[in-house]
Amino acid sequence: MNVLQRKPEKTGQPEPLEPASSPSPAVEKTVRLIARDDGICLVMFDRPGSSANIFDLRTLDELAQELEFIERQTELKGVVFISNKRSVFIAGADLNAMLKVASPDDARVLIERGQAVMNRIAALKIPTVAAVHGAAVGGGYELCLACDYRIASPDHATKIGLPETKIGLLPGWGGSTRLPRLIGLPKALDIILGGKTVPAKLALKVGMVDEIAPAESLVTAAARKIKLGKPCRSDHWLLNSRLVAAVVAPQVRKMLFKKTRGHYPAVFKALEVVTHGVSRTVEMSLALERDGIIELMQTDVCRNLIGVFFLQERARKKTFSVAASAAESKPVAHTAVIGAGVMGAGITQWISARKLPVILRDINVEQVAKGMAGIAKLYRDGVKHHTFTAHEARAGMERVHPAPTEVPLHHADIVIEAAVENLELKKKIFQRLDELVSPDTVLATNTSALPISEMAASTRHPERVVGLHFFNPVYRMQLVEVIAAQQTSPEVLQRALKFAQQIGKLPVVVKDSPGFLVNRILIPYLIEAGNLFESGARIEDLDDVMLDFGMPMGPLRLLDEVGLDVSLHVAATLAVHFGERMKVPGCLGKMTNAGLLGRKSGGGFYLHEKSKDAKPNPGVASYVQSQKAREITREELQERMVFLMVNEAARCLEEQIVTDPADVDFAMIMGTGFAPFRGGPLRYTDTVGAARLVGAMNHLVASGTAHFEPCKLLAGLAVNGGKFYPKN
Amino acid sequence: MNPERLVVVDGVRTPFCKAGTDLAALGADELGRIAVSALLTRTDMDPALIEEVIFGCVAQPAESANIARVIALRAGVPQSVPAVTVHRNCASGCEAITQAQEKMLAGRGKIFVVGGTESMSNIPLLFTSSAAKKFGQLARAKSVMQRAKAIAAFRPADFKPRIGLMLGLTDPVCNLNMGETAEVLAREFDVSRAVQDAFALQSHLRAAAARDKLAEEICPVFRSDGKVVTRDNGIREGQSFDALAKLKPQFDRRNGSVTAGNASQITDGAVALLVMSESRAAELGYKPLGALTGYAYAGCDPARMGLGPVYAIARTETQTGLTLADADIIEINEAFAAQVLAVIKCAASEEFAHDQLHRLAPLGEIPAAKLNVNGGSIALGHPVGATGARLVLTALKELKRRNARRALVSLCIGGGQGAALWLERM
Repeated sequence: MNVLQRKPEKTGQPEPLEPASSPSPAVEKTVRLIARDDGICLVMFDRPGSSANIFDLRTLDELAQELEFIERQTELKGVVFISNKRSVFIAGADLNAMLKVASPDDARVLIERGQAVMNRIAALKIPTVAAVHGAAVGGGYELCLACDYRIASPDHATKIGLPETKIGLLPGWGGSTRLPRLIGLPKALDIILGGKTVPAKLALKVGMVDEIAPAESLVTAAARKIKLGKPCRSDHWLLNSRLVAAVVAPQVRKMLFKKTRGHYPAVFKALEVVTHGVSRTVEMSLALERDGIIELMQTDVCRNLIGVFFLQERARKKTFSVAASAAESKPVAHTAVIGAGVMGAGITQWISARKLPVILRDINVEQVAKGMAGIAKLYRDGVKHHTFTAHEARAGMERVHPAPTEVPLHHADIVIEAAVENLELKKKIFQRLDELVSPDTVLATNTSALPISEMAASTRHPERVVGLHFFNPVYRMQLVEVIAAQQTSPEVLQRALKFAQQIGKLPVVVKDSPGFLVNRILIPYLIEAGNLFESGARIEDLDDVMLDFGMPMGPLRLLDEVGLDVSLHVAATLAVHFGERMKVPGCLGKMTNAGLLGRKSGGGFYLHEKSKDAKPNPGVASYVQSQKAREITREELQERMVFLMVNEAARCLEEQIVTDPADVDFAMIMGTGFAPFRGGPLRYTDTVGAARLVGAMNHLVASGTAHFEPCKLLAGLAVNGGKFYPKN
Repeated sequence: MNPERLVVVDGVRTPFCKAGTDLAALGADELGRIAVSALLTRTDMDPALIEEVIFGCVAQPAESANIARVIALRAGVPQSVPAVTVHRNCASGCEAITQAQEKMLAGRGKIFVVGGTESMSNIPLLFTSSAAKKFGQLARAKSVMQRAKAIAAFRPADFKPRIGLMLGLTDPVCNLNMGETAEVLAREFDVSRAVQDAFALQSHLRAAAARDKLAEEICPVFRSDGKVVTRDNGIREGQSFDALAKLKPQFDRRNGSVTAGNASQITDGAVALLVMSESRAAELGYKPLGALTGYAYAGCDPARMGLGPVYAIARTETQTGLTLADADIIEINEAFAAQVLAVIKCAASEEFAHDQLHRLAPLGEIPAAKLNVNGGSIALGHPVGATGARLVLTALKELKRRNARRALVSLCIGGGQGAALWLERM
């Protein structure tokens, strides 16, 4: 059975032929066998109609069938698992299937099927190699772990890891059992608990793969490994001993608790499964895995985190149903950013790191210099944290073209204005931009709170003006609010959306309204924190209860990080439109006037000293007006702040700032880090029950705090028992 | 039908800074990249339309082979655009421009980015060839014994480096360094120390007075450490005749007159110009600064390389019919005060015209009012690969300011050559 080498596929592998055993398929298969002259059998994964391979039940069954065939062969020398996809080996289990699993019994079936297939691979008498090019994560890497050897290509697309804990699960197809036995307990815990995915070079270093070979040479390298026969590996008897596990587990648990405040059951469960399983038999460990993952699959946390994952995918691919025209379908090639302040520099650095040239414009050399220095620092920090190599950082920096004097911008596909939050200044900038750009150029503004429709109205071509609101810090916050002004044309909105996706951000389309979506929801929450502080609540308590809730940072700390002056400005703008409920507490203005701006001035609610942790600032005690809040319980403090977020979020949906509740939740999670395990403020409401929330809010209203009046939408849901997400 | 003219659309340069100071940490490729990036931004030029990038560089850094290519790619010019580095010593910056002209006339393209760059701070020290051989033996040594033997072969003299800068500034054919050739001219043409110093002072005073004008050609350099460089730092605002007089002669301790003060400075800097055919410029809607209307390179005695301009200017007169009197602005590179002054004397000398140029009439006068009106390399510095382009840029800008018609740019070239270019305002 000679296989003539035809034109190599993307991975340089021979054209697949039907294996002798299987009948001509009526349905397109995902798993195919390719026999070779040298007695090595290739198992190729090529999911029809998709650019990725995933493990759904059907694929598991197909694989089981092919394994059965392989088991019956007497002449085979070895098996190599490969993928025919451009940038994915196998991307893990089918998460949709996971979500749909209704009962623990169904879950059991799914898990046991997967474990069984992996065990079969591990039990093969002939050597097996996983030849990985592209992403091998989750179940995909668990297949690799079941093999005797793992070889990976050094390409950018190749990612190796077990990210299950990030979606509230644990590696349940043998990963929690086999990885510690391969690389030792401590390193395995690091990978599994961190839900880490690493590039090939690092995978080699920690032992997750055995060798690195170029994509075109993977199969040849695999054949060499097969010639070596079954491997003889260290069993890490000391690292994986009961003793070490017993010592390590409590320390790790403590660290996990500190990090997660107990909100993420998956990591604790994974810790338990791995540390207990590592010193027991493989069968016992697999059983622990199975029971553990089934338990986790029942949790809301898991459903919510998988939900967030899908929302991210949705945001990556979102489009409008607008007829594609020539102007839209071209990717952006030239950009410009006006304003070299913190946001301008951050946006410029992000875009330049995405391989696009950016012209950075500001009013004079000094301002541009500040921006350039800021960008250089972002790149330096990125190199330090291994986000970029020094080479990549230099190339990125070179894509920034400073413009301290006015320059024409005809070639810019999009210009992003990120100047000072002053409406008159922005209008002037837009009017000038009208002259400097070409008719096709999209003019976007990064304003947080100013009316975009008014800015657009002051230009000659208002339909090409759109809002593109980035979040601080740009390098970390994936969310971008894409804001449609009244005049924004659908084509321009589509282009702005595609641009956000092109540069790797996750967009949410929002109506032009003060504060847009995220800031509008945050402000009442921050104001309440400020009011409670003014009424005597302790800084530590206010921030702590929100950390307990699952926010990444407490409200007063957030005010310090953003800057009290900036927050005050945004809040004041919102107060003009929304009245009493956005009224800024007096302490904010007083502290700002006294120069207590937060981190940027060294002190706000906290003292920010260079090398030390931030401590509550004793100097702000003078801004406390009363002691009324001293009696409020921590529980109630938390409730009050959370209610206001939920209420404002519901209002945004009510007013159709966005049309889909998923957009509200997604934006809050990605824009503020709102407890992802809760799925967002609206999902949280569904989980707790609108009736309960509204009841508590009404109680507060009755006891004198009118600003807890629930909005109509929320009150309505409480009455009829409805949900924001009626179907799921 | 007249052949198409090459026009200069616009140009920009980095500040020129003394070696070892503000720009020392930037390599020649980085300086060139900054200049090209600023040029493309200013002119809103789509880099995909460029047909070749031509850059002059004398001390081509070992790590940037074909530095023009490195500069082009780093500045965002697409991979499909070819690039070539040129070297005609001190006139490399001119060579880039004139080669663009020749390519255009040969039908090899219409739009070019040209210029020159030099980082004299980073000219390397070199091992002697005997030391290099021993290093090679050490690298090839396999066993411990072999390695020990190879190490033992080194002598203290092996660690005395050859100074690249000095080597580059010495002409191997006549075995004189550039300063020594200037001394030759100072002696032969009786250019006194005092006259040289006065000329040098004038260069500084004119440059200091022209800071604002010079700022029009300069793009800021944003260093990675956060500092911004915006000014030429060779210019001495408070330069005085007395300060110059105090300096000791640099190249002939006992009887010389050429000092560090009346010679050009060792400097870092880069210049970039956008040049294209006249018709292309019109098509793209550009209003060029001016056109190249004639040029010549001429060879002369390496020991008297400073006289190069006279020979080259004479050639352009033959070529174009233009004489010194036709120039409203004259830029003669101030490699050394002595050298420029010798050139002035020779240009006016009938005897020189007979003997050396084989013509009856002398070239003419070079009045101080027309010459180097905004200062020269004595004050600004002479990054050797870049200066040729700077002179063209600065002359064109000054023509515009004065609403004048013609400029003559000329340089002496180490190795015994001269370059001369005629420019006409548009």
